[in-house]
Amino acid sequence: MKRTAPSRVEFLQGTLDLLILRTLLAGPTHGHAIAKHIQRISEELLQVETGSLYPALHRLEARGWIAASWELSNKGKRARFYRLTRLGRKQLVAERSKWEAFSRAMAMILNPADRETQ
Amino acid sequence: MNSFFRKLLWLAQRRDKQAELRRELQFHLEEEAEERQERGLAENEARWAARREFGNVSLVEQATRDEWGWTRLEQLARDALYGLRQIRRNPGFSAIAIATLALGIGGITAMFSAFDVVLIRPLPYADADRLVMIWDDMGKTDVTSRYQPAPAEWVEWRRLNTIFTDLATNQPGDATLSGDGEPEQVPARKVTWTFWSLLGVQPMLGRAFTEDEDIKNVRVVVISNGLWQRRFGCSPSIVGRKILLNDEPYEVIGVMPRGFYFLPSREIDIWMPASFPPWLRTNFTWHDAQIVARLKHGVTLEHARQSMAALSLQVTAKDFRGPHSVFVNPLREEIAGRTQTALILLLWASVALLLIACVNLANLLLSRGVVRGREVAVRAALGAGRGRLVSQFITESLVLAGLGTIAGLVLALPAMRFLETLVPETMSTARLTLDWRVLTFSAAAAIAATLIFGLAPALRESRRSPQDGLREGGRGTAGARSHWFQHSLVIVETALAVMLLTCGGLLLQTFQHLRNTDLGIRSERLLTFETPLFRYRDFDRRVAFVNAELESIRAIPGVIHAGAISRIPLTVTDQATFYLFAGQSGDSIPQQVALFRVVTRDYYPTIGARLREGRFFEISDRRSESPVAIVNETFADRNFPGRSPVGAQLKFGQLDKKGYWYTIVGVVKEIRERGVTEELKPTIYLLHEQTDQWSTNGAHPSGIVVRTAMEPASIISAVRQAIWSVDKNQPVWRVQTLEEIVGRQLSTPTQSTALLGAFAVLALLLASVGLYGVLSYAVTHRTNEIGVRMALGATSREILLSFGKRGLGLTLTGLAIGLALAGIAARSMTALLYGFRPNYLPTVTLVSLILLTVAVLACFIPARRASRVDPVIALRNE
Repeated sequence: MKRTAPSRVEFLQGTLDLLILRTLLAGPTHGHAIAKHIQRISEELLQVETGSLYPALHRLEARGWIAASWELSNKGKRARFYRLTRLGRKQLVAERSKWEAFSRAMAMILNPADRETQ
Repeated sequence: MNSFFRKLLWLAQRRDKQAELRRELQFHLEEEAEERQERGLAENEARWAARREFGNVSLVEQATRDEWGWTRLEQLARDALYGLRQIRRNPGFSAIAIATLALGIGGITAMFSAFDVVLIRPLPYADADRLVMIWDDMGKTDVTSRYQPAPAEWVEWRRLNTIFTDLATNQPGDATLSGDGEPEQVPARKVTWTFWSLLGVQPMLGRAFTEDEDIKNVRVVVISNGLWQRRFGCSPSIVGRKILLNDEPYEVIGVMPRGFYFLPSREIDIWMPASFPPWLRTNFTWHDAQIVARLKHGVTLEHARQSMAALSLQVTAKDFRGPHSVFVNPLREEIAGRTQTALILLLWASVALLLIACVNLANLLLSRGVVRGREVAVRAALGAGRGRLVSQFITESLVLAGLGTIAGLVLALPAMRFLETLVPETMSTARLTLDWRVLTFSAAAAIAATLIFGLAPALRESRRSPQDGLREGGRGTAGARSHWFQHSLVIVETALAVMLLTCGGLLLQTFQHLRNTDLGIRSERLLTFETPLFRYRDFDRRVAFVNAELESIRAIPGVIHAGAISRIPLTVTDQATFYLFAGQSGDSIPQQVALFRVVTRDYYPTIGARLREGRFFEISDRRSESPVAIVNETFADRNFPGRSPVGAQLKFGQLDKKGYWYTIVGVVKEIRERGVTEELKPTIYLLHEQTDQWSTNGAHPSGIVVRTAMEPASIISAVRQAIWSVDKNQPVWRVQTLEEIVGRQLSTPTQSTALLGAFAVLALLLASVGLYGVLSYAVTHRTNEIGVRMALGATSREILLSFGKRGLGLTLTGLAIGLALAGIAARSMTALLYGFRPNYLPTVTLVSLILLTVAVLACFIPARRASRVDPVIALRNE
């Protein structure tokens, strides 16, 4: 199994789904690219493990939030491309506002000093 | 497409999806390797690095597959297959388990199919739950408290009631159908025009008659589907045709749909307008109508009862017999009759049998659990969770239940053929089938059974800690608690078996009582049939014809006696009259009601009746000014307690008119005129030739009884020829032997006794197997302990007693509980005891003896095995 570098952040429950949906907002792509994209944008802080990525992709597909089809990759190989469905878009909006509310709340509790000084 | 259907689709494409996933992961690996190669790694090295980065491919595959959502299903299939393998591996155990379940489920399935047809399925009328029948409550009279109402009451009730949407009457009107083809007697009913709209049933061809036609006495009829097929070859042109009924032309205006029936019998072929004559509309003494009514929406049965009782008292306030109340009963109850109680009882009995089967199986599984302890321990040690183990055990039980159900359905089919005869004659003939309702019920029963017998062992096995199970010779199994549990199972099944046995015993006693009832008739080799006499309305012609036909029958070789009576014995409950003794005032009349029968002189010798005192009718009893009568013992005892009625004078019928006084000349020993299972009533017999002065209300001696020297059925055609030689247009119908009549009347008690008896015997068998199983399990389980005890000086006698005592203790506890339950159950089956008060003591004693004998055997075998344990071998077993 993978050894995780100490500097990396563990995924919180359910956050991977949100990240996948957000990544696909930019356009259809395949599993490997999704993983790389999340890693790159998070400046290597988030490491997506294949053992979580593929179950998550198939789970989202089963729920109808994303759809899959075989397309040619930019290197000309056949790859399973995922794209966001209408349902997935709605879900993304909902999950996103939920997450934002959650992180705001976390921030308020973790940094009470900020509020007192205000 | 929602997620469930998507997953279902994926399930169908399982193989493709698997390959696809593999390609997808392969692509990921290649992409990763390429990326690394671009960063400068050698091809080989890049591929290995990608692999390492990726992790365990098959694990990823597995985790992804889990998301497809059929892991559960696959698990189930695996467990089921494993269950099947277990069944093959232990053929003995499996055969017992499946056979036990098959008995339980087969029994309950067959019973339910009959129950469903008679008591659950909607009757073939619109909104049949709101239909009720109304009867007069003549509590004060001698004949029967429940009496058919008079058409005049229908007129008044219909005018005054506030709770029914409508009421209809239904009167007897059997008729001879002639014209095209042989004359044929057909069962017919006269009904008011309200009958059709009330039941919400219309003819499938043509129409029903109208109010106008009913009131104006227009000769129209609606015929049954059966008659239409049988006699008119399903011709649609029958509507509008004229047919001859009792030699008068009637126009057929409608044909009823197949499957339509109404009381009193499924066999009614003709419905004609009631067309009450004016005098009938105001005469409250002419009781020959059945009245059916439809409750308005929102009117409860209780409300209807109170309201109708009050109305009836008001309507009959001026009746010279005094006002009377009424009974209001749901139509369903009227149609099902006693069968209802029998079916409910038998359904409960089959539930008890299934419960016993389940308890037995639970015990078997618990005992087997010990054998499988190691297997379970290994599974648990390898990480199977408790839930997983329970679901595995339950699945295995389901497999057993499934096989048991299939075997049960195979058993149920012949049982259903037998049960078809339990469907009352008041309903249409029903063929019991394994339709979806019955199959759904059996499936539900099987699942319930699985939970009952599978859950306890599953929970217990899964609770066991792996260490205990894995330890060599691990014998600590479940300790005292499991004994307690298994013991209560044995007690439960013993109690249920005792309950069934006791109820069965009570029914058997009742049945024997009914079988041995003195009919007052020698029933063997007695042929009966009816020759309707509507063509002989004139008294002299009728007497001449009856004498001539009897003479002609007597001439048939093999005929010993022939006689006639106005109602075939054992079949009819009605035809009663008021009577008055010489010197009595009219005040005593309201209570004085007796059945009356008009007979020919040969009737008594033919049926083999016996006299208590006086004489039978003799040749000297001719038409005269001083007619004679014979009464039965009930009549004599009621009116002349401790005295002889011979010589007393009485008159009956229209008492106010000048009539003949009849002199009682004899008392005949009870003849069960009303039916084998019916109560005896005061009865008066008159000689046909002496009934010229009194209009006997159609009581003509149309019923013929013939005593033969050989099998009575063999002379049927000769009898027809003999009658036709006197009058070639004379219909002959309802030909049957007296034994057939008796058999039919006893069919419900016969069948319920046979079925309950069968259930009880099976229950006893299963319960004793259960007892045997638990004890022999205990012996096997405690061989070591027995060895130690014997090594320490216990004698084999002591060991034998200790095991025997435990078995008998369980049996006695079960027996006590079972007898208490039986007491409660017996109270609910009084309708099946036909007024007979069975003696509990012999039944209870017998049941206890049988149970104890069986229990002693079931205990003795394992206990003896225990006492024969060789301590040396037992301890070496360690």
